[in-house]
Amino acid sequence: MKTGNEFAAMKMMNGNEAVARGAFEAGVKIASGFPGTPSTEVMDYTNLKYPDIYCEWSTNEKVALEVAIGASFAGYRSMAIMKTVGLHVAADALGGAAGSQINGGLVLVVGDDVGRIAGDDYNDCRHYGNMFNIPVLEPSDSQEAKDLMVKAFEISEEYSTPVILKITSVTCKTTSRVVIDEEYNFQVRHREKYPVSFSKVIMTTIMTKAKGSEHPKLTKCFNNFTAHMKRLADDSNNFAINKLELNGTKIGIITAGTPYYYVKEVLPEASVLKLGLVMPLPEKQIRELAEHVDKLYVIEDGHDIIEKNIKDLGVSVIGKELFPRFPDMMRFTPDIIEEKLVPGAVKRTPMKDVPFRLPVSCAGCSHLFVSRILKKHKIKAAADVTCGLIGCFPHMESYSLQKCMGSSIALAHGYNKAKGQDENFVAMIGDGGFWATGINGLMNLIFNNGQSTVIIVDNSCLAMTGGQHVASSEFGFNYKPENKLDIAKVCEAIGVSDIVSVDAYEFDNLEESILNSVNAKTNSVVIVKKPCVTKFKLPKATPSYIDQDKCTKCRKCVGIGCLAIESKTNDGLVDIVINQDICTGCGLCSTTCKFEAIKS
Amino acid sequence: MQDTGKNIIIAGVGGQGILLFSNLLGKFYMKLGYELKTSDVIGLGQRGGGVESHFRYSNKPVLSPFIKAGDVDYVISFEQTETLRHLHCLKKEGVVFSSTYELTSSSVNTRLQKDLPESKTDIIKRSENKTFIIDPEENKSSEFNINKMMNIFMLGYYAEFRGYSHDEMIQIVKESVPAKFVEGNIKAYEKGSAIARAELVVS
Ligand SMILES: Cc1ncc(C[n+]2csc(CCOP(=O)(O)OP(=O)(O)O)c2C)c(N)n1
Ligand code: SF4
Ligand code: SF4
Repeated sequence: MKTGNEFAAMKMMNGNEAVARGAFEAGVKIASGFPGTPSTEVMDYTNLKYPDIYCEWSTNEKVALEVAIGASFAGYRSMAIMKTVGLHVAADALGGAAGSQINGGLVLVVGDDVGRIAGDDYNDCRHYGNMFNIPVLEPSDSQEAKDLMVKAFEISEEYSTPVILKITSVTCKTTSRVVIDEEYNFQVRHREKYPVSFSKVIMTTIMTKAKGSEHPKLTKCFNNFTAHMKRLADDSNNFAINKLELNGTKIGIITAGTPYYYVKEVLPEASVLKLGLVMPLPEKQIRELAEHVDKLYVIEDGHDIIEKNIKDLGVSVIGKELFPRFPDMMRFTPDIIEEKLVPGAVKRTPMKDVPFRLPVSCAGCSHLFVSRILKKHKIKAAADVTCGLIGCFPHMESYSLQKCMGSSIALAHGYNKAKGQDENFVAMIGDGGFWATGINGLMNLIFNNGQSTVIIVDNSCLAMTGGQHVASSEFGFNYKPENKLDIAKVCEAIGVSDIVSVDAYEFDNLEESILNSVNAKTNSVVIVKKPCVTKFKLPKATPSYIDQDKCTKCRKCVGIGCLAIESKTNDGLVDIVINQDICTGCGLCSTTCKFEAIKS
Repeated sequence: MQDTGKNIIIAGVGGQGILLFSNLLGKFYMKLGYELKTSDVIGLGQRGGGVESHFRYSNKPVLSPFIKAGDVDYVISFEQTETLRHLHCLKKEGVVFSSTYELTSSSVNTRLQKDLPESKTDIIKRSENKTFIIDPEENKSSEFNINKMMNIFMLGYYAEFRGYSHDEMIQIVKESVPAKFVEGNIKAYEKGSAIARAELVVS
């Protein structure tokens, strides 16, 4: 890679943007992925800024990774982008790639939502490094995000292994300076070293059973992956991305990611081993640090993985016992490190009783119409992972079951099979969740003679992650009208008995359609259509307002969960009001008011 | 005295343009040659969640992207419940700029939680820090929608408070917002700086 100083330029980039830049400088040809906070924008930036790289949002993460694996076997550098919960979906594909021969570098960019700042999980993608015996890299800032991306591809090819680049909600959303070569010329890398690449099952069967044979038909399948990883572990003691900073002898810290900077700020005197490659570990460097200091700590965001791996080497470190994780701590902060390791540090506590903000749907969202009808008729239902899952929160109480992405159809099917069909437990799912894996649930339901009702909220995008396209959207990176999939047609082809499509804003019609489907003793799909008001910036109608003379403060309208409806206290008196800047005039709230106080 | 750098928390709720505010400020301090790091923390859920941006500029490399409680020089907040969440982070000599705009928390709307019994503006005014309270109602204008452009209004206010060149800041605003919003935003900026000028004479 050329970084001639004459063209070097400083840019402000967040971590996601820097990863995309790194992919560009590494000569990536194929980027596939599935959206998920915090790493969605890696794809957005790649697609926007680097048209040389083929980009696709795949139907789900497993498919995305398989696409990347195929491209890698073809000899091209490829990356798969997902959040950690997405890697759970793609784990089987990763298990197949781990330990196998790699032609073009294969890198998984995986976003850990540390601290649950914006998301839904307390997962740690590094577990997959341990489980599959593959390397994991973790940057501390945007410069490193770019540089480690390039390094990740080099490691992938040199040591013949998929590599995980772990980024977090903090690295992704932190903007810092990055030096880039503005004149950099994009060069696709191509490397077809191995004629075959088989999963460990096939490869090791051949290897162990045919030990000693040099027949090329056999040896071409051999890949001594444990030796590659051992060599990587040894080499990593000399990698510049692992930095051993020997200072004071009292405190030693082994750290990675943004916590490195918290440590540098709070404990400037400490000796530090900063890992860029967090898996496998540089054993020599760790022992050197351990001998240099009186007390050795591990400070890592997420789970206690580095800590356990170090303990496995027989080196004693302090970690989790001093820094207990969830629910005591969501993520590391400079404050926590100071409190625990700097004697006499003052602890500041936030003001008590400042009210919490539960998540709310956008004003005018189609999900609110569905939630309202389910609640009004006391229809029990499962929600999927969609914007509509806000209906599960205690201020809405529209759903009684919610699990992972794409699950609601199978959840309802299982419930109904167990309870018998008398109680039709309904499934609600977004169009994205439907295409991701929900469609499998529907096929399963039909051929196993299920009788459930499925409500598909078709808002033409993956709204919760910011509006990316799905198979049935009328836009997208590789969109062509003739290739657009049609939800109703697919449901029909699968064999659903009863399919209706309704406009979400036609309240009476929607209510009737849902009731008919729920009451009919057959399997059915209700497709609720309305583009996401926020993504598609739908034009607003005249805002509604509440006639205070008629309002009895019954709060029925507050219960629908619209962001625009507020309870305001003035001089001890409560008014229920509609925020005129936020209201879209969708009319849903007026269907709740018995006193006709809501007008437009 | 030379400004060696500051730690700023910008707070509010989704849709108030907090990330744009921190972006514009970033461009300004970049031009002045400072090192900087900004980190965005976006709350739960889609709408109505709290948003905060940690903004640090310095003449030395910035280490932690998050500002330790007690190290904050300025809290700039567009929503007063959010102001309250950050008051404890301020240095003794830290300053608060807070809009009186309030978006009632969903948990209060639905009576899952009680609201604070007292006016939030009063609590903020009572804090030990110097406070500037900005009431959007009082600064309404026919030339721009203050509820949508509070961020740029506040940028003008802050720039005046810091004694910065308005020409440079306005230039950055022009380069960064969509063409159709430039005019309104500049009006908001100018109003913000004018209000600050009047306020600073008094205080
Ligand atoms: C396995 C997995 N992948 C990705 C995500 C991130 N994610 C959360 S919601 C969502 C989009 C849901 O879109 P859709 O089903 O269309 O519902 P909408 O939000 O549009 O209502 C995604 C991708 C996740 N939670 N789990
Ligand atoms: S982003 Fe779209 S789907 Fe999500 S809550 Fe807002 S309007 Fe509804
Ligand atoms: S009409 Fe009612 S439900 Fe619809 S956006 Fe306005 S306040 Fe919300």
